[in-house]
Amino acid sequence: MSVIELIGVRKEYESGSETVVALSDVDFSAERGRMVTIVGPSGSGKSTLLNMIGLLDTPTAGVVRLDGRDVTDFTEDELTEERRTGIGFVFQDYHLLPMFTAVENVELPSRWDTSLDRRDRAIDLLERVGLGDRLDHRPDQLSGGQRQRVAIARSLINEPEIVLADEPTGNLDRDTGRTILEELTRLKDEENIAIVSVTHDEQLVEYADRTVRLVDGKIEGQ
Amino acid sequence: MSGITGILRRFPSAQMAWRNLGRNRVRTALAALGILIGVVAIASLGIAGAALQQQATADLGSLANEVTVSSGADSDEEGVSREQTEEIRGLVTDAEVVPQRTDATTVSSRGRSARVSVTAVTKPDVLYDVSSGEAPTQLQNGALLTNSTARELGLELGDPIEYNGNVYRIRGLIGSEQGFGGGGDELVVPLSAIDQDHYDTVTIVAADGDAAVAITETLNERFNRDGRDENEELSITNFADAQESIGSFLDTLQVALLGIGSISLIVASVAILNVMLMSTIERRGEIGVLRAVGIRRGEILRMILTEAAFLGIVGGLVGVVVSLAIGFVAFQLITGDPMGVLTWASLRYLVYGFGFAVGASVLSGIYPAWKAANDRPVEALRG
Repeated sequence: MSVIELIGVRKEYESGSETVVALSDVDFSAERGRMVTIVGPSGSGKSTLLNMIGLLDTPTAGVVRLDGRDVTDFTEDELTEERRTGIGFVFQDYHLLPMFTAVENVELPSRWDTSLDRRDRAIDLLERVGLGDRLDHRPDQLSGGQRQRVAIARSLINEPEIVLADEPTGNLDRDTGRTILEELTRLKDEENIAIVSVTHDEQLVEYADRTVRLVDGKIEGQ
Repeated sequence: MSGITGILRRFPSAQMAWRNLGRNRVRTALAALGILIGVVAIASLGIAGAALQQQATADLGSLANEVTVSSGADSDEEGVSREQTEEIRGLVTDAEVVPQRTDATTVSSRGRSARVSVTAVTKPDVLYDVSSGEAPTQLQNGALLTNSTARELGLELGDPIEYNGNVYRIRGLIGSEQGFGGGGDELVVPLSAIDQDHYDTVTIVAADGDAAVAITETLNERFNRDGRDENEELSITNFADAQESIGSFLDTLQVALLGIGSISLIVASVAILNVMLMSTIERRGEIGVLRAVGIRRGEILRMILTEAAFLGIVGGLVGVVVSLAIGFVAFQLITGDPMGVLTWASLRYLVYGFGFAVGASVLSGIYPAWKAANDRPVEALRG
């Protein structure tokens, strides 16, 4: 079954007096254990689509289903809760908190739930991405590839169903990018999660189980 | 610091806030400094006001229960006559009536001399506190001298002192000055030492200020009303009214001082508003990430309010310490007793200052916190 499902999703923005259509009648789904890569030229609506999948933005029309539940009309607070428990995020610029150590950054999304202590899982995840000896390092003491691995560990802390990766290799050299993608693929299988990534990077496409091409807010071939 | 970290771990918003303040230490320190100055302004001005009030009360307190009677403007007499004094005694039953004759002279001893005012009185114990020796209830012979005069002239208890051709033995030394009424060098001799029929003044010492006011009323009624016209036979003065008006003036002064102090705290809270706004704008992307990974708006709000509160608490605590030090100095300078600051009347300004500091900081944090919490994560992440 699809973890996330978008049906007939349309997104419009008001830009001055005219209405810009960023997404038009898009159907999309992602399954556990699979990596889907969204590619397309800039301005094609890739980021908007990723925001819809990540429940960071709501569609103008259409339906969004997470784990079979219709979350289209959820309030911001309900969406926040869904993001916290079900979705992990990996960003191009890592977005780690500079004042926190690697392990603190990883457990950050779980911190506000006082019933959980995910310190052990945070350490375990960091060990699995090969940073077992960097637990107490701050981001400025880590290389770009290491930072992105911390970010990947962070995206998995709350045992999500789906991880969204926005240009995960965009700031990394080719070799580092490759190892990051290998980590992601391995963790996808180990944790049985869906990965949706957005990229310009042809290399990333090689690792994808499926590639979706977006042009002018429409999925090509749909 | 590790203790704080341990406690903060259980309160993630507070921990985030604490770490964020550590990020730009100079900015944090400057914002806290603004608050510190505000607290010091409020608290030290308040404490200085309390010291003034305490000193004024101490100065006037000993006089407030006294009524002084002397010859009135419309009197034919040179002073207060024996008959009038007896009549006063008859009217005033529950207070000491102490007639006095006054003079001024130069006393000399061992080649040094000093100009002193002379008070001839029978019951010096009612009017004077002696620091050594005694103040007799009936002064028939002997004399009292102010401490400072005695020191100046090199005189001690038991030494003779000459006035008006007679020699008196010093039986007591008068201690601290009696408010602004009895300052200066003074020689106290028996009533008979000044040879005149009338008294220059009659001092009535009542139980308290209210009784003194009542006595003033009674005596005015008796001596200074001739039919409907004012006819001042005796001048009757009492300091209770003066104390009251000085007290209310000091209250006004206190409010004005606190007002001035508050302005600096308002300026400081604007600085906090600015700092918090800058810091949330700088961290916009970061806050967007927190929101994306599922941290609720309320938690972002709490985090930033806590940051503002920490600025207030840190600035406020240091401000309280500095103000306390200033308070010791103010009390030393104004009342001569630095420990006088350790009373609720002055310490409460530390509490007010601290409370205002934290309150103003949190208030200043509301807008930046609200703005950051309600920023849409999509927009924030875009930068």
